[in-house]
Amino acid sequence: MSDTRYLFKRGKTWWVKISVPPSLRPALGYDLRRSLRTQDLETARQARSQVVAEFRERIARARRELDGPTDPKPVQADGYQITAREDFSDVTYLLELSHPMLAEAAQPGQFVLVISHEHGERIPLTIADFDREAGTITLVVQAVGKTTREMQQRCVAGSTLHSVVGPMGIPSQLENAGKTVFVGGGLGVASIYPQVRAAQEAGAYVIGVVGFRNRELIFWEDKFNRYCDQLIICTDDGSAGIHGLVTKGIEAAIEEHEDIAELVAIGPPIMMRACAEATRPHGIKTTVSLNPIMVDGTGMCGGCRVIVGGEMKFACVDGPEFDGHQVDFDHLMGRLRRFIEQEKQALETWAEGLTGAAAP
Amino acid sequence: MGGGFDGRGRALIGAGKLATETKKTIRTIPQERTPIPEQPASDRIGNFDEVALGYRPEDALREAERCLLCKEAACVPACPVAIDIPGFIERISEQDYRGAYDILTDANLLPAICGRVCPQEDQCELVCPVGDVLEPVAIGRLERWIGDMGLEEGWHNVPHIEPVPYRIGVVGSGPAGIACAADLAKAGCEVTIFEALHAPGGVLRYGIPEFRLPNEVIDAEMENLTRLGVEIQCNTVVGRMFTIKQLRTEMGYDAVFIGTGAGTPRFMGIPGEALHGVLSANELLTRCNLMGALQFPKYDTPITIGSHVAVIGSGNTAMDAMRVSLRAGAEKVYCVYRRTRQESPAREEEITHAEEEGVEFHWLTAPVELLDDGEGAVRAMRCIRMELGEPDDSGRRRPVPIPGSEYEFEADTVVYAIGTTANKVIGQTSELELDERGYIATDDDLSTSMAGVYAGGDIVTGAATVILAMGAGRTAAGAIKDYLKIRDTEVVYQPDGAKEGPFGFDPRERNHVRLRLPPDHTVPEPALSGSGSQEG
Ligand SMILES: Cc1cc2nc3c(=O)[nH]c(=O)nc-3n(C[C@H](O)[C@H](O)[C@H](O)COP(=O)(O)OP(=O)(O)OC[C@H]3O[C@@H](n4cnc5c(N)ncnc54)[C@H](O)[C@@H]3O)c2cc1C
Ligand code: SF4
Repeated sequence: MSDTRYLFKRGKTWWVKISVPPSLRPALGYDLRRSLRTQDLETARQARSQVVAEFRERIARARRELDGPTDPKPVQADGYQITAREDFSDVTYLLELSHPMLAEAAQPGQFVLVISHEHGERIPLTIADFDREAGTITLVVQAVGKTTREMQQRCVAGSTLHSVVGPMGIPSQLENAGKTVFVGGGLGVASIYPQVRAAQEAGAYVIGVVGFRNRELIFWEDKFNRYCDQLIICTDDGSAGIHGLVTKGIEAAIEEHEDIAELVAIGPPIMMRACAEATRPHGIKTTVSLNPIMVDGTGMCGGCRVIVGGEMKFACVDGPEFDGHQVDFDHLMGRLRRFIEQEKQALETWAEGLTGAAAP
Repeated sequence: MGGGFDGRGRALIGAGKLATETKKTIRTIPQERTPIPEQPASDRIGNFDEVALGYRPEDALREAERCLLCKEAACVPACPVAIDIPGFIERISEQDYRGAYDILTDANLLPAICGRVCPQEDQCELVCPVGDVLEPVAIGRLERWIGDMGLEEGWHNVPHIEPVPYRIGVVGSGPAGIACAADLAKAGCEVTIFEALHAPGGVLRYGIPEFRLPNEVIDAEMENLTRLGVEIQCNTVVGRMFTIKQLRTEMGYDAVFIGTGAGTPRFMGIPGEALHGVLSANELLTRCNLMGALQFPKYDTPITIGSHVAVIGSGNTAMDAMRVSLRAGAEKVYCVYRRTRQESPAREEEITHAEEEGVEFHWLTAPVELLDDGEGAVRAMRCIRMELGEPDDSGRRRPVPIPGSEYEFEADTVVYAIGTTANKVIGQTSELELDERGYIATDDDLSTSMAGVYAGGDIVTGAATVILAMGAGRTAAGAIKDYLKIRDTEVVYQPDGAKEGPFGFDPRERNHVRLRLPPDHTVPEPALSGSGSQEG
């Protein structure tokens, strides 16, 4: 008899069929079959093996599925790798993360939300730099509360963060490429950097005003110099540059240049308010970047609500940049103190845990 | 054959056993609805365990007896995903629980979830004819029971999937996205869900608290999605990481479904909203459910729930916020609502549970101002009493303030649960047409103004329900199949009637994509093999 294994004829056409083990029938049916689109037995024999192999594979796959994947695909991301770290001072540190998609999408003025470990909170951090080619983003963090201090200890190159999501917020929009002053105070120095670079690349005349407590804490001076037409450094103690706050630097800049079109400031709320007050008499458009407490950062909790021009806005989706002359800074500063007690408690418990763990 | 088949392949009267059994009537069925065991109110406010404990087998069997197995069951079209309700209840009575599970999960991937949170009383149970005389069949409780059994037994209903060469992007992992992804995965598409948060599930995860919907139930039912081959990519904000347009073009997705929900909380704009202790229900629930704030400081996210909590609003969200507050240790929890209990949008069951747990309801009351304690925190709420006036557009009588009726009451936490609006990011970052309220505008088939892009769930309708969102996800999946010209695999072939056919099989059985046999059904191998046996 001729070899018709796995073959059967329907009308005049040859088909392949292999039967399915009973346990898999609920998923696959009695059998798997497919037309070979030929009436010639010899051709059908030749075509047969490939189809049979494919069906076998499908049955094997169904069996694996039935047994359950040995390791169901993790629903949560495995983590985001830290590729480099640099310490600017004993409280300020830089983390570089590998995240090509995020690096591709990031724009000046945007931020990310980070969860450092499974039990961690979601904290917003401004994107301080991004490198599309290397696929990295840079965050600069100041160790103030429990989360950021813990990150200071745990986040070394090669370690991972539990979750990083972004880029969040509306990218900053420089309305004109005239003379623009970029002000960064403390941590805000890092946050303002992508805007400085973008403005310079867009052809603006860029004046940078950066403030630090003292000479030792200065960072990224070279980076700023590369993209600023003029860089004004201010230190609280006068150990470098202008002696005083960034507002002194702003005043100096305004005095020197009559045609400043815009000022962008990032830093602690009290500094941003001072900047807005410094420009108000001169009618210079002033943009500030707000960083209130957020939970989800996608507009769902309203924890980040701020008052701008008498209207409620959500900093995460309507901002983070707003007209500095319209922002209600008292409201912002009040709301930033919401969890002060809990933060203290978290820090204490954490510190106790550390000393406890250190004991033998 | 004597009988016909309805659209879902179920034998109609005359074809099978229905005809031979003595017919059930309203008089012969158990008269009382089988109650569901619950944790006593005094215990449950001290824990986050589930309130309704679920049926025991004897409860389920008794309740299944109450179903009249109507021929043209009114409940089926009343269910947004058209579950074959009499079909699955009949299987319960036959103690074919696996069969019941399969029928349920053909239409609804998340039976354990829907059985818990669906407003059955407004849907399937509302139209149940038993309800005309007695209390309707407890369809939701039976659904939950089978769903739970499926989870316990580790059942999954994974049909044979014939791959088609299409890739689908689903934005948002709430009920709408889940339902759409499941249907398209079953149709053979390669489906990826993008979720902004670090955990999938949408409101199911961040909103509805554990005592109503335990996280394990969500995890387990979501796992069935991954079994269908759906990939879930968390930590991805579509619109910002990449746009809808990029998905359709550079990234090579043949169609996109948007189910991003309506999560943006509303505030009232009354004085004092900036005070500490004033927050949205979403913030409270997100902190507690998603971020584990009640286990602070083990979890890093803090929450402050004071001793006197006033929740404004009376929907499901308000009920959840109040009941979480009670469990978090609040002494007094008030519900402040400007209409009456009759107009309250929450499910009756939720209101009853909240009442049992000691929530104090202030109907016909509206806040006018939140008062400062002098240190930037809220101390009390000034309210005004309302009365019902003429009906408004929604047909409900409009509440109007009673002049001079203002009064104050103490509250150190004030929670806003007065509704939400569309999530903004997609609107901000795409050219999709929105309606005047900021929701995505769609046609009846849920197609948007961009070709190949569909939307559904709360982002189209405004805040609604889990099952309506799932229904929308399934409608959109149908439209996407049409758009991509994929054969509809929805109609599940059930070979019940086949028993009646010649040689024990159904003459119409021929290359069906999905074939399901009862577990005990065996067909002798030789009957099917051999050349030419399929002709006829
Ligand atoms: C507290 C609460 C209790 C409720 N109780 C009930 C109940 O008992 N019964 C009931 O039937 N209904 C209830 N509802 C309503 C029900 O949960 C919703 O109607 C339903 O979840 C809507 O589903 P959805 O898929 O449209 O959106 P959602 O569930 O809101 O899911 C949307 C998802 O999309 C994500 N997303 C948003 N934007 C983006 C983006 N740009 N990129 C990627 N992802 C994005 C979100 O993070 C979210 O996960 C309740 C709602 C709340 C808030
Ligand atoms: S899904 Fe909801 S409406 Fe449909 S049968 Fe179940 S409880 Fe009823």
